[in-house]
Amino acid sequence: MQGIFSRNRSLTLLASVVLAQVLLLAFQIKRAHDVRLIRYWAVEIVSPAERGGSWTFSKIGGFWSGYISLRHAHGENERLRAELGQLRLRNATLETQAAEAQRLSVLLGFRDAHTEAPMLAAQVIGASADPASHTLLINRGERDRIRRNMAVITPDGIVGKIVEVFPATAQVLLLTDKDSGVGALFAGTRTHGVIKGTGDPVPRMEYVVNDEKVQPGEVILTSGEDRIFPKGLLIGSVMDTVPGYPFQTIRVSPSARLDRLEDVLVLLSLQELAPKQTGEPSPVVPEAAAAPANPAAAPASPSAPSKRNTETSSPSATPAPAAKPTAAQP
Amino acid sequence: MDYMLNAGSRSDSNIEVYKYYSGAVVLASFLALLLQAFLHKYGHWTELVDLPLLVVIYFGVSRRNPVSGLFLGAVIGILQDGLGHGSPIGLYGIAKTLVGYVASSLGGRIDTENPASRFALVFVLFHFHQIVLVSTERVLLNRPAPFFTLHLLLASFVTSALAVVLFALLDRLRRSS
Repeated sequence: MQGIFSRNRSLTLLASVVLAQVLLLAFQIKRAHDVRLIRYWAVEIVSPAERGGSWTFSKIGGFWSGYISLRHAHGENERLRAELGQLRLRNATLETQAAEAQRLSVLLGFRDAHTEAPMLAAQVIGASADPASHTLLINRGERDRIRRNMAVITPDGIVGKIVEVFPATAQVLLLTDKDSGVGALFAGTRTHGVIKGTGDPVPRMEYVVNDEKVQPGEVILTSGEDRIFPKGLLIGSVMDTVPGYPFQTIRVSPSARLDRLEDVLVLLSLQELAPKQTGEPSPVVPEAAAAPANPAAAPASPSAPSKRNTETSSPSATPAPAAKPTAAQP
Repeated sequence: MDYMLNAGSRSDSNIEVYKYYSGAVVLASFLALLLQAFLHKYGHWTELVDLPLLVVIYFGVSRRNPVSGLFLGAVIGILQDGLGHGSPIGLYGIAKTLVGYVASSLGGRIDTENPASRFALVFVLFHFHQIVLVSTERVLLNRPAPFFTLHLLLASFVTSALAVVLFALLDRLRRSS
């Protein structure tokens, strides 16, 4: 018997091992009891490596999603950047169009409010190449019934006058040009003078005697004596005054933004514009509302009535346009 | 190689037995169990592969020692049972013990170096393992498990194909004689 076992040692071992496991199975089934010790050690042996594997996999996954996959994110980012650039460009175009529509709306509203005076909207298409010359080029010309010495205004105030007319364009001399002159008067005191360009952005009001009390902020209107601008259009306001001999020097801040003009109106006649009663900007100032910003220069002051009287009755108190032909006839 | 093809006709003293670096068997067995347990959480596709079975077969046919083969199969099978849940300890142990023994016995009789023979050997032993497993389940546990399904057939092909690659890698663990 022992010889058989020794000859078939491996088979004997096989049978023993299998039998042992069968008994183990039978034990578990009979007792309905698990061999917890084996499971415990099997898990204890493998679980540390499993934790390490999970950590490694999560790191690899994180690296993949955080770096390798970002290859596509980079391409998408480039595409979105390009799209953003296009949208910004489109937005800028739309904003420009909206601003243009706004300006044209104001111009149209102004023109509609003053139907008594024929006027033509024009677009500023260029400026002078000469730095010393303050002129603009508009897209209206002889074909549009534009003639020399027509007034050019905006709803904010006067701009200048037409000095050259071409078939499809016209040149506008701004009131800041040194060759420019506009008959003017103070809205409050009705004292007359002439607005003369100086070649810099700040024109001056001349021919106002030193005795005349002029306060900064006082509103200046066109007097109509130059036969170019209808009476009562807003020119600007007083910046400051300096006594001089024989006249004081008054620096004027133009109401129209002459450095950023895009659309203007050309008055086709000398017809006076009726004062506008809306809240929109208007170069036409009602006489009753044309009070100076400074209360000292208000018509309520004792001197105001006398000054107002001098406008019509006393040429000596206020220089008449006829006395200043160079200024009144630019 | 030629003598391996005729290994069955030679005496046992002429059978070439491969030696491995120390710890190679333990390391390979551990990695097989680890990967089987670890990869299972990444998808059911891992059910198509039985890595511990491949390790038992490989070292069985390479070392050609039925005793060590059956013990290796028993240990790996019991640990595989231990890492599972719901099945009693010994189910895989019995199946892999028998596979280890059979693989060791066959290792000296057929060519185990050729990829095609490796594929065929693993394919046959896979189903042998399955037959033992299902028989044990039916007889001892009274569980009506099927002997053959299409899923098992697919698993046997996948495991056999993987064996060809895996065995080539494990060959590198051999110690040069």
